[in-house]
Amino acid sequence: MPQLNPEFFVSQLFWLAVFFTFLFVFLWRVSLPRIATVLEKRQNKIDENLSSAKELQEQAMEIEKKINDQINKAKLETDEKIKETINALQEDVSSQLSSLDKDLEKKVSDAEKEILKSKDDQMKNINNEIINITKLTVGKITDIELSDNKINKVIETHKGNFN
Amino acid sequence: MAAKDSPLKQFEIDPISNIELGGYDISFTNSSFAMLITVLVITLFLTLTVNTRSIIPSRMQLISELMYNFIAQLLSDTVGDNGKRYFPFVFSLFMFVLIGNMVGMIPYQFTFTSHIIVTFALAAVVFIGVTILGFINHGIKFFTFFYIPGVPFYMHPLLIPIEVISYLSRPISLSVRLFANMLAGHTLLKVFAGFVVSMPFFTGVFPLAFIVALTGLEILIAFLQAYVFAILTCLYINDAYHLH
Repeated sequence: MPQLNPEFFVSQLFWLAVFFTFLFVFLWRVSLPRIATVLEKRQNKIDENLSSAKELQEQAMEIEKKINDQINKAKLETDEKIKETINALQEDVSSQLSSLDKDLEKKVSDAEKEILKSKDDQMKNINNEIINITKLTVGKITDIELSDNKINKVIETHKGNFN
Repeated sequence: MAAKDSPLKQFEIDPISNIELGGYDISFTNSSFAMLITVLVITLFLTLTVNTRSIIPSRMQLISELMYNFIAQLLSDTVGDNGKRYFPFVFSLFMFVLIGNMVGMIPYQFTFTSHIIVTFALAAVVFIGVTILGFINHGIKFFTFFYIPGVPFYMHPLLIPIEVISYLSRPISLSVRLFANMLAGHTLLKVFAGFVVSMPFFTGVFPLAFIVALTGLEILIAFLQAYVFAILTCLYINDAYHLH
């Protein structure tokens, strides 16, 4: 078996030492640090992206919260406004209604008074006319001149029959 | 020297240029050439593929990163945080054995991992390094590694020698495992290749098909043995930190 022939043992050991030492030093000093920097760079990039994504997500959540707050606030404000407007309108309407009521009442009472007054006037006129007519007819028929008071007395006693 | 068509002929070492240093023969041989190819493949691949240092890797860069992460994961799983500083060594060892095995799978190419002296030297470096590490970490207490707690006292005269022997046989088992796997695989391939030639007519197709399947298996073994070499190194490093 050639493996057990010691003729080239020294040569093999020597070249093994040379090549393996060279390989070890080269990988240790050149190749492996290169790969390590690449891996580190990539990991850093990934971490960076992840953290910025997280940050953005937080910001988005914050903005969403703000929007919701504002929507709620706006809702409350509109509710308040609607209520206020309704109240104001109701007050307005009721005050106008009451003033209308007053107006109407006054107008009604005025009208009543006027009616009463015109009725009185008419009654008075009717009285006078009756007196005059009575005076004239009595005067023409009998030549008796009746005083206003006498006629009035007779009218008063028979008033119940007219009404 | 083996016969001309012996399956072991592929393991013979041929000097390419004769060099002598201090009375020792350190000829540059086909074995040294295979090592040179291996080292060049590893260093060029790992350097050139990561040359752009891009965050989004190319396919080739991804292979380098996968190998890096594979060994880094292996070390952190077996040794933990202490293992980080041995990463360059374990990685070099893994790549050297892996690519050495793979280069050996190229037809007519020499397989230096099929030589016991090479694998033993690598295992000895691991063994001596780990032993020194154990003494640095634990001082004289490192010898308690051979003392198994929780065993009846009369068992210790038996168990301590067993533990010592098993510890001392680590470099042998580590080196022979790799050497024997490579030797057996390549010998088997050569034997079946001989059948292809010597069998009559078209029946040589059958051993040829077997060779194809066996080559796949050999590539798997090439990777597996490199992995085993690396993981055992990691376990030994772990033992140097954590005694029983």
